[in-house]
Amino acid sequence: MNLLEIRELSVEFPAGEGSVKAVSRVSFDIREGETFGIIGESGSGKSVVGLALLRLLPANARVSGNICFAGKELFFLKPSELRKIRGKRISLMPQNPAGALNPALKNGLQIGEVFERRGIEKKEGMKKALGLMKKLFLQDPEKLCGLYPNQLSGGMRQRLIAAMSLSFEPELLIADEPTKGLDPEARAGAVELFTKIKNEYGKTMLLITHDLDLAHEVCDRIAVMYAGEIVELDEASKILHSPGHPYTKGLIRAHPRNGLVPLSGQSPSRIKLPEGCFFHERCRHAAVECSRRHPEIQNHKGGRIRCHLQFLQ
Amino acid sequence: MRYFLKRFGFMALTVFAVCALTFFLMNAIPGGTAELILKHTFVGLEESATEEQLNQISSRYNLDDPLYIQFFRWVKAAVTGEGIGTSYVFRKPVLYLLALRLPATIQLAGASMAIAVLAGVSLGIYSALRENRISDHILRVATLFGVSMPCFWVALLLILVFSLKLKLVPVAGYGSLENLFLPAAALSLHSMAAVMRVTRTSMLETLGQEYIRFAKAKGLPLRKIISRHALKNAMLPVVTVIGFQMGNLLGGTIVIEKIFAWPGIGSLLVDSISARDLPVVQGCVLAIVSMFLLVNFLVDMLYTHLDPRIRYG
Repeated sequence: MNLLEIRELSVEFPAGEGSVKAVSRVSFDIREGETFGIIGESGSGKSVVGLALLRLLPANARVSGNICFAGKELFFLKPSELRKIRGKRISLMPQNPAGALNPALKNGLQIGEVFERRGIEKKEGMKKALGLMKKLFLQDPEKLCGLYPNQLSGGMRQRLIAAMSLSFEPELLIADEPTKGLDPEARAGAVELFTKIKNEYGKTMLLITHDLDLAHEVCDRIAVMYAGEIVELDEASKILHSPGHPYTKGLIRAHPRNGLVPLSGQSPSRIKLPEGCFFHERCRHAAVECSRRHPEIQNHKGGRIRCHLQFLQ
Repeated sequence: MRYFLKRFGFMALTVFAVCALTFFLMNAIPGGTAELILKHTFVGLEESATEEQLNQISSRYNLDDPLYIQFFRWVKAAVTGEGIGTSYVFRKPVLYLLALRLPATIQLAGASMAIAVLAGVSLGIYSALRENRISDHILRVATLFGVSMPCFWVALLLILVFSLKLKLVPVAGYGSLENLFLPAAALSLHSMAAVMRVTRTSMLETLGQEYIRFAKAKGLPLRKIISRHALKNAMLPVVTVIGFQMGNLLGGTIVIEKIFAWPGIGSLLVDSISARDLPVVQGCVLAIVSMFLLVNFLVDMLYTHLDPRIRYG
């Protein structure tokens, strides 16, 4: 059963005379109960997909395609209906916990407001929030509520954000780069946190990350994004152990444990995308065909892949 | 505590410097003080002041002493609480005159400030929320007029339209709310425009912050997001500008009070300058500077309330 179906999602941002193609025709499904990962380098468009799901993109973004969540077309919802989904049925754990907390408001208010106007008494909501905070390894939550965000450590802020996102036990949790910029200790804590969320809440999760280890530990299936497109989509173990796409291979080789071999070159300009495969200029195996025709994503060995080479061989 | 001592020390130093400057500059204006006092206190004595009369006046007010001694005497009297001199023209203590005139000025400046802040902030927020729509453009052009039109000209226009043509309010005078309307409007226009512009800019910047997006992701209604999450953070630069505008307003009262025959310290100051009533000029300047410093001190105290990350110590 698919909880979320994304079809041909494209996002462009106007820039001068052209536009930046942040996401191009992305399609994938998330099954109920699974943890779906999107991996890719910075700027590959993975966070934009996450924001588009909750219609949180800036007003100047041009979005097309369909997103169907539990049978509802998200792009056709009225603002009042959208608000009922945001934070309650789909919630977002934003990229940067320090920036996502309002510096001028106390932590308690920021966690308590999730319950506002949702048929839950303020006291009861606070009790629920405190319980969640305790569960997510936050000590002395009552005291934390009286403090301001700048008085917390990075790891604590992330747990606080996690507690806010899990307030309503959402059907879908979107976690955007949860380990970005954390020191090794806090990172290990984050991995523990996500394993816990996964095991205890059994929630469907969309994990957007460039942390391959985290993806390996918690994801069931993974989509690899490059230059705004999905280039490969398969079971997590298959993607990470026997990748098919040259970009995925490069990404895995660039991991410190696998020799820290950097991918040569840079990802293409998104205002003027190259002809043919977006990756051919950096691809070691590129054939003539790769610079001529843009490959479509196709079924291959149980997964999906966007590469001419798989089919030329 | 040390911060406050330091702060008050600097405030006292500023007051002293301004008083010294006023005193020596007033004495640097050509034309004997005694002669001017005579001409102002005795009608019909235009060209025929005798040597004897001049000497009499000079010795009564110790005008023959060196300037620094005169100034030192004034400071000593002010610090020991003896008073800040006696008016040459009115033959009354300056403090008595200030107490008589100050309420009118506080009323006018207070009303103008209230209009400027209330209208400026709300129009600024409205403009930010309607960014780049017609109403935003209209308001921005209007603020351009607001900041570029001198207040005396605005005052004359207002009198022309509201008093002479529409006959809604009296041309000038003091005492009732009707009288307050035009001078307060004329005086506040400039500050209102300045406050509006900075509110708009600051609001737009704040609305682009990550915590605003996260507040949306939590499912909060837009009204709550503006009033709770955006306003407090956006007010920091606005409050700074309000502090600066206080100086502008107090300067404006001098002209506006003269135009509308408003019996405040502004018109007292103008009259005293032309009468070379030095103690009164000194007293008015002292009152204006103190008010300005006090408001800016309050503004700085407001900062810590708005942003808990700011602490003085």
